[in-house]
Amino acid sequence: MSSIVLQQAINGIVVGSLYVLVALGLTLIYGVLVQINFAHADIVTLGAFAAYGVTHLLSGNYLAGIAAALALGAALGWLINAGIFAPLRERGSELLPLIATIGVSIMLQNAMLALLGPIPYAFDTPYSNQVIRFGPLFLTVQNVLIILVSGVSITLLYVFMKFTFLGKALRAVSQDRETAGLMGINPNYLIMLTFVIASALAGLSGAMLGPVLVLTPFAGTSVIVKAFAIVIIGGFGNVEGTILAGLLVGLIESFTTQFLDPGLIDIVVFALLLLTLAIRPTGLIAERREENV
Amino acid sequence: MSEVSPLAAQSKERGFPPISRRAWFLIAAVIIAVLPLVVKDSYWRTNLIVCALNVQLAIGLDFVVGYAGQLNLGQSAFYGLGAYGSTLLVLKLGLPFWTAFAIGTLMAGVAGALLSFFAVRLRGHYLAIASLGFAVIIYQILLNWISMTQGPLGIYGIAPPPVVALPGLPQIVFSDLRNLFYLTAGFTLIVYILLDQMVRSPIGETLTAIREDEVSAASLGIDAAKWKAFAFAVSSAAAGAAGCFYAPFVGTLVPDAFFVTESFMILAMVIVGGMGTLVGPVFGAILLTVLPEFLRSIGDLRLIVYGASLTLAVLFMPGGIVEAFHLLRRRLFPEREMQ
Repeated sequence: MSSIVLQQAINGIVVGSLYVLVALGLTLIYGVLVQINFAHADIVTLGAFAAYGVTHLLSGNYLAGIAAALALGAALGWLINAGIFAPLRERGSELLPLIATIGVSIMLQNAMLALLGPIPYAFDTPYSNQVIRFGPLFLTVQNVLIILVSGVSITLLYVFMKFTFLGKALRAVSQDRETAGLMGINPNYLIMLTFVIASALAGLSGAMLGPVLVLTPFAGTSVIVKAFAIVIIGGFGNVEGTILAGLLVGLIESFTTQFLDPGLIDIVVFALLLLTLAIRPTGLIAERREENV
Repeated sequence: MSEVSPLAAQSKERGFPPISRRAWFLIAAVIIAVLPLVVKDSYWRTNLIVCALNVQLAIGLDFVVGYAGQLNLGQSAFYGLGAYGSTLLVLKLGLPFWTAFAIGTLMAGVAGALLSFFAVRLRGHYLAIASLGFAVIIYQILLNWISMTQGPLGIYGIAPPPVVALPGLPQIVFSDLRNLFYLTAGFTLIVYILLDQMVRSPIGETLTAIREDEVSAASLGIDAAKWKAFAFAVSSAAAGAAGCFYAPFVGTLVPDAFFVTESFMILAMVIVGGMGTLVGPVFGAILLTVLPEFLRSIGDLRLIVYGASLTLAVLFMPGGIVEAFHLLRRRLFPEREMQ
């Protein structure tokens, strides 16, 4: 019994780290821009397919696949910022960019559906079938890789935000865009950078989750609705809260699968979301954002 | 003219001159009466009914999004609540269709008012995500409560609305697509007239005041919480009623018909038509229902049309078809605009 609990805890942390990786990009963009990129989900999916394609072309070189997903994500982030968010920023509407990216998401998803079909792809990396055992517990090397990559990405992002000049400039822009502009920081450049980093993270998370989840054109969407729940439970724009909430949702998911019913996962997660919104709308770690609460 | 606030200018621009309003409704009624006589093909008659339901969903959503300014991504859930609610009331409790219709519509309205509990505390993005979460929960309940909804297998063989037999007149049978179109489109027209009356009354002014600036609205004594609940209730009741018609029209209910993407489709109809006008979403809904039918031969590309039109409308024509119409009229009849 206790080994089942431990095993599910490990599975929960693996899934949770994937969610954190997806949600971090969303929260990063929200922190700087107070905007939601709904097409984030499809960058995840495209990242997964890019990784799949490159890994297969190079006969099993998964690391090259990850690099391709990162690059594709970064490029898409740049494109979405230049095509959607930058032109709409001048209009100053709060919700129009969200609606426009819902359109982008529908387009990308159905374009993938037309090209790739609805049948799941079997994405096996060289690490999917290597198993590490600790007594009754087991982990695939792929799972270890997921936890590692998530951990390293989160740490790098933290170091970047805390200690580098660009990171400090980014935080300055997220706190007060106009004053940051007066200090000689170019907010438009930094917003572009935020999109590139956030979307590269989305591409990366796609490459990581492709081999674990069911790889279809809808793979990103099934994850992103949970990522939305996670960023709200963690407090939008709050990186520590996002990490905590991501792991929490991962654990809830694996324990719901084990002890209740896999069909109930979304209901439990979103009930938690609505509960958070009703009781503590600023998220687990309070950081008040007046415009939403 | 320069003294007029943008809001007033906008409401002046909205729709057609008041005198001809009744005439327009009459024209709409005549079009509804004539359409199924012209369209004899049962495939296109089916599409006419889909149009009527989509128009009802779109104008309902526009009431809360366009007028009250609350981005609601949960319209698919209210649609589904109406459809499943009314069908299950008929199947499990043996209620007559029209009683189930009334209860189903009411149920969706109450659920909308409950969701507005979040709208009271949250604005903008948080509300959008909360309503999306609500839609996901309802979809998952429809999918997983198998003893009640039969889950992904769906409910089959739902009977059409009962035959209306008035003394001295021929029976009205709703398995006939023409009669079903008259029923749904007629009901949609009534919903339109009701919403039109509301948005042109002080209720409309109150809702737009909340949309434009909630704090100022509150300082004028407007109870924003109450009015948001009202807007949500009306909007979701309209969606619920559309759902009550959907079930006997299609005859089959599966949860996938009420997935969150359905919410996005309805939102696209509102945006492409022209958010914040009632006539816009009517044309948006018709365009986005009929246009993809011509593209059916290219399969999945149909939905790309929705995505592309949504994004392009937001980027280049945020006022939608209504704005395009006004631009065109200004170009063609510059002298009429001067008056």
